[in-house]
This record gives sequence, structure tokens and C-alpha cells, in this order.
Amino acid sequence: MPDAFGLAAIITKFALYLGVMTAAGTVIATMMFRLDRTRGLAVAFAVLGLIATALAFSLRGANLTGDLSGMTDPEMLGLLWTTPVGTALLLRLLGLGLLIVGLFMGRVGIWLSVLGGIVAIWSFDHVGHVPGRDTTSLDIALTLHLLAVALWIGVLTPLKRLASSSATYASAADVGHRFGVVATVTVPLLIIAGGYMGYALVGSLAALVGTGYGQALIIKVLLVGLLLGLAAANKLRFIQALRLGDPTAAGHLSKSISIEWLVVLAVLAVTAVLTTNQTLPS
Amino acid sequence: MMKNILLAGLAAFWATSALAHSPLDSTTPANEAVVTQMPTEVLIDFKGSIRLTRVSITHADTHRMDMDLGEQTAFMQEFALPMHDMGAGTYVVEWRGLGDDGHALNGTFSFTVE
Repeated sequence: MPDAFGLAAIITKFALYLGVMTAAGTVIATMMFRLDRTRGLAVAFAVLGLIATALAFSLRGANLTGDLSGMTDPEMLGLLWTTPVGTALLLRLLGLGLLIVGLFMGRVGIWLSVLGGIVAIWSFDHVGHVPGRDTTSLDIALTLHLLAVALWIGVLTPLKRLASSSATYASAADVGHRFGVVATVTVPLLIIAGGYMGYALVGSLAALVGTGYGQALIIKVLLVGLLLGLAAANKLRFIQALRLGDPTAAGHLSKSISIEWLVVLAVLAVTAVLTTNQTLPS
Repeated sequence: MMKNILLAGLAAFWATSALAHSPLDSTTPANEAVVTQMPTEVLIDFKGSIRLTRVSITHADTHRMDMDLGEQTAFMQEFALPMHDMGAGTYVVEWRGLGDDGHALNGTFSFTVE
């Protein structure tokens, strides 16, 4: 078991992933599908992302001293600032800041928010296991993977909201259908990019089965498989039925999205364990 | 049900997980070495550049002291840390540091003076 700091680091990272991915995904989905009333949602998750960003940086300071004093030790934090961890901090604060500012700037603001979301997502290229490998193709794969994941997460809550009122069933069917069309590109992209990174980082079947990192990756893939099943049911059955005017489909869709959210949370939690606590197979 | 499976899974990873990264190339005295004379300094050799942030020495499970790292202010691969003779017994050196890629690193090694 990890110590208290290890556990705090995992929880903080989970909050960071949830905040950044949902905030970025919400503004990207808002722009792509012209969604209404998503500002509160995007701001809330961006603020969660900002808090987790600061806390994660501070916890790294504690890692350097081995006690709580490191969290506020200017020498330790200053030292971290000079490394790629500092660059990632800067990009995250800048990206989430732009995202929030854009949300209060009227119609053109959404572009600024989307740019901010992309910058915040891009920050993950600078720390962790992938940048350590120092290869551009892995960086590109990670960014594409995360953008596709963000869009998927970002569409969930607005779609659920549309499906929860009979006045917006038609919009729910329309947004769901359009996301389904986009997903025929982004979901395969997500899987290919994820598969490529998994292959590059794990490398062999023995490492996949025999190491903690590999085993966590297997759990993640199984959960994503579950997610794909739910998404396929939404796309092929419920959204189809809703487009044909079947009101009972809205309830099914709403319930299915709730389950999808739970699985997304589990995927992010496994990812946080994977990136915080696991050594790559060498 | 699913939550329980997941929790059990997570617990299993924690149990099998090693300390992140093993960056130590060698130490002098080597880990678990037995020496007849107290060395005047301990040499720590890393695989990559790191900046040491904390080093503590525990002698015979009783005396623990933090080393003064005031002069170690750069990312380096080799460190020579002056030692105080606290008599015979086992010395445990615990170190923490920051890799130049931003990863926090830490580890422990020990040697025994006869």
C-alpha cells in the first residue's frame, strides 16, 4: 500500500484528470454541437482542475522533503519550477485560466476556452511516463488520445440534461446523433493512440501480464470495453429510438449515461494509479 | 459488486508496485557492505542527474541526523557526502531528490562498520 502521501497524490491526480478533461471536453463539445447552458459545468470542473493542479504541485514538494513542510517550502517548489513539472504547472494554470475567461466573453469566447482546454490537455505531454521516453510520436498520440477522451466525457452531462426533459428530447436525439457521427472517427483514434502508447510503454505480453503497470492497463482496457458497449447501445438503440420519437428511450439514454459516467470515473481512477504509483516495465 | 472488484484490483497493484524508478547506480560503501573502518565520506552514484533534497543517516537504529546539503545546489550524477564517525554498527542512509525530468526520487541503503 502507498503511504499517506502516495494516496494523496493518487486522489489529487484523479481530481486533476477529472477537472481538466471534463472542463476541456465540455467547452469542445459546446463549440462542436452548439450546446447551451454549459458554462456553470465547465467553470466548476475548471476550478476543480485548478485546485488539483496547485495541490499536485505542492504534494511533489512534500515528496522531496518527505514531510508536510515541503508543500510550502519555497526552495523545493522553486526547484520543481525549473523542471518539466514547472512547465506543466504553467500550462495548466494558463490553459484553465483561458478556458474560464473565455466562458465570460460572449460568443467568440468559446474559441478562447477551447484553446485553453487544448493547452491544459497538452500540459500532460510534459510530465509522466510518456515525456520521459522523449519521442514526438508518443506526445502526439497522448494529445490525440486525451482530446478524444475529453470530447467523450464533455458530451455526457449536456446530453443527459437534454434527455431529461421532454421539451428537449429532439435536441438530445440530434446532439446524440451528431456525437455518434464524430465518434466514428474520434473513438477509433482514441483506441489506436491508446494501443500504440500501451505497446510503446509496456512492450511485451509478459510485461503486460506480469507487472503492476501492465495489470492496471488491462483493467483500464476492460473498463473502456464496457464503456464502448454502453456507447454502442446509446448510439444504435436509444438515440435511434429517440430520433423516431419514442419518449421511453430518453429515460434509457439518461440511465445509460449515468452508468457511463461511473465507468469513466473508474477509468480515470485506474489511470491515476497507473501514472502515480506504477513503475514502467523496463 | 463492481466497486469491490475494482478496489481489490487497486489494492493488488499497490501491493505489487515497487518504488517509482530505481535511479541508483552504485554507492561506496556498497549497500549492505561490512567495512572495518568508518569511511570519511559516502559516495552516491546515480544513473542520471539529480538534485539531492534530503539525506538522513541513522546509526544503530538510534541516532538519526539530517545531513547539511547546503553546498549541493546543482543537478549532478555523483555526490560525496562527508560522514561523522558515530562508532561501530549499522548506518542507514535515506535520501530524497529530484530528477531533472521532474520526478521525485528516493531510496535507502545501509552499511555496517565493524
